[in-house]
Amino acid sequence: MSTTTGDSKQRISMLKVLNPFHIWALGVGIVLVGEFMGWNFSVAKGGAYGSLIACWVIGLLYTCVAMIDSEVTSTVAAAGGQYTQAKHIIGPLMAFNVGLYLVMAYTMLEAADALVVGDLMKSGAEALGHAGLDTKPFVVLTIAFLAWLNYRGVFTTLTLNFVITFVAFIAILVLFLAVEPANPGAVLKHKELLTDLPYGWIGVVASLQFGMWYYLGIEGTCQAAEEVRSAGRAIPLGTMGGMMTLLVAASLTWYICAGLMPWQYLGQAVTPLYDAGTLVGSTKLQLLLFVATAFAAIASANGCINDASRAWFSLGRDRYMPVFFGAIHPKYRTPYRSIIFLVPIAVSFAFTGLLDQVITFSILSGLLGYTFMSINIVKFRKMWPLGSIHRGYIHPFHPLPAITLLILCSATYFATFLGYGTSLLSILAFYIVASIWFSVRRYKFVKRADQFTMPWPRPKGY
Amino acid sequence: MDLWDVLSQAAWVVSAALLIWIVKDAISVSQQYDEEFLMSSREGDE
Amino acid sequence: MTKHYEPPKQGWFGQIFDSLFVLALVYLSLMLPLLFKAKEAASAAAGAAAEAVKPTWESLQLSPVVQEQWEKLGYDAEKAAALINTKFDYTIDPVWLVITAVVLIGYFVFMLKVSDKEYRQVIAEKFGK
Repeated sequence: MSTTTGDSKQRISMLKVLNPFHIWALGVGIVLVGEFMGWNFSVAKGGAYGSLIACWVIGLLYTCVAMIDSEVTSTVAAAGGQYTQAKHIIGPLMAFNVGLYLVMAYTMLEAADALVVGDLMKSGAEALGHAGLDTKPFVVLTIAFLAWLNYRGVFTTLTLNFVITFVAFIAILVLFLAVEPANPGAVLKHKELLTDLPYGWIGVVASLQFGMWYYLGIEGTCQAAEEVRSAGRAIPLGTMGGMMTLLVAASLTWYICAGLMPWQYLGQAVTPLYDAGTLVGSTKLQLLLFVATAFAAIASANGCINDASRAWFSLGRDRYMPVFFGAIHPKYRTPYRSIIFLVPIAVSFAFTGLLDQVITFSILSGLLGYTFMSINIVKFRKMWPLGSIHRGYIHPFHPLPAITLLILCSATYFATFLGYGTSLLSILAFYIVASIWFSVRRYKFVKRADQFTMPWPRPKGY
Repeated sequence: MDLWDVLSQAAWVVSAALLIWIVKDAISVSQQYDEEFLMSSREGDE
Repeated sequence: MTKHYEPPKQGWFGQIFDSLFVLALVYLSLMLPLLFKAKEAASAAAGAAAEAVKPTWESLQLSPVVQEQWEKLGYDAEKAAALINTKFDYTIDPVWLVITAVVLIGYFVFMLKVSDKEYRQVIAEKFGK
């Protein structure tokens, strides 16, 4: 398929071994940890009902993301996902930024996941009578083990992810049945615990920020595009299926937690579903949720290593970042140097002790990426109108999803401004400085025409 | 020294072993194979 | 056909330097908000010291069911009150709002403009003039 002449030498590539279940496991695996920790910070910002509204509004945002992403990814199937899309549709600087969003969002989320595993070990040790356990060795072990697994091949990595994500999802269902949803007032006390909106409607807008946790990372499915057997089919299927799983899990989680904990507690809880299991008062349930929380965090970190390393690898392959990282392991067929490089970085993020900063950085990087998608799809349809190239999937109602997405993104920026304004500015400063640095210093190492790899005709208007 | 201290120590040791294995493998790959071959993947290749 | 651009090869030292540079930038932007936070925390602590009346379950005026859930979570009135009385401040500073909006929009406009310029070169080299 390559257009370059004169190199008939043997080429290396990643293995095409994944099926739609792996894609589901990659997408849901990254996100499901959000139901076990993090979503509940939206309760602090806007109350329990505020959080529920945020859950639905952000659900709409992600439905737009999934629709748009499915169309572009089923057409541009390459590791690097949205990065490769940006490179073909908007241009190099945008692509560089999108690549950074991906690497940052996933590596920071990975660090937060590893911290959750560490904290969970600590509270487990406390429950068994050993106070003050040092969490560091368990944080490092989580990252080291998952990096090792990722290094050794994508098939085992994502098969494991499928199993543990499935267990974590089932645990939410079991907990839901255990709180006797058909018998309100027995275990669940919604009537007494649910209050009016504590901050009014501005609080609801503010809670959109952490409402992102309900779904953050689902779009990472398209990083696997070079490793699935049939990208045009598996990626839309796995992503949409994942989105449905998450909508169910998010609603159940909200319903359980809002009926068990006062919102002021819920808004700052570290592991809300585990606390819910504890409140029901059964040791078995408590144990199940302990395991499920750990599994969810591990699955998420695992998927994050997978996605972040593919994005970093793609940046290296195109020389946006040092070309050294563009190597593939001859035996395991993984972007092994990128995997190694990101290990100490994830560990150092975890050890900064700035969990809320790290989480905000992760969310905002995701949000910047969604803003890009809304611009991207409009340009995509203009430059290659329907019928001019083969699209694996065409999303309906264009440009309505793109406009909705842009409006919801703006609302979420405003939500972040409320309460986390300095973080927002400092993260923007990072991307601005990085962009200038890329234009001035890095771009000279990039081959021009080689960046465009799709077998498409010349875009309209260029 | 109780069970949890032993577990913490074990976690350090296992992490170190895994990371050392990865780095050693990466170095040996670089020595065995031609750098150009390792970099030869192309975006969107079928 | 436009002139084919042949990029320079980057040496080892440059590759390592560039990787580290991006990392340094990330850490810097993670640390930056801490400077502001330290100031806020100091003023918040001063405010908290002013209202140092010991709270009780009665003074919090919770319904019995809510109080029971707090107790199940292992909270006494004092600890619960600390959480109940922590509130976000959503007063909007219009100056900062405008600054943030300008930076955000400016960032995207800048990025789209530069990308477009670079993209035209890519297309010109790939498909010819």
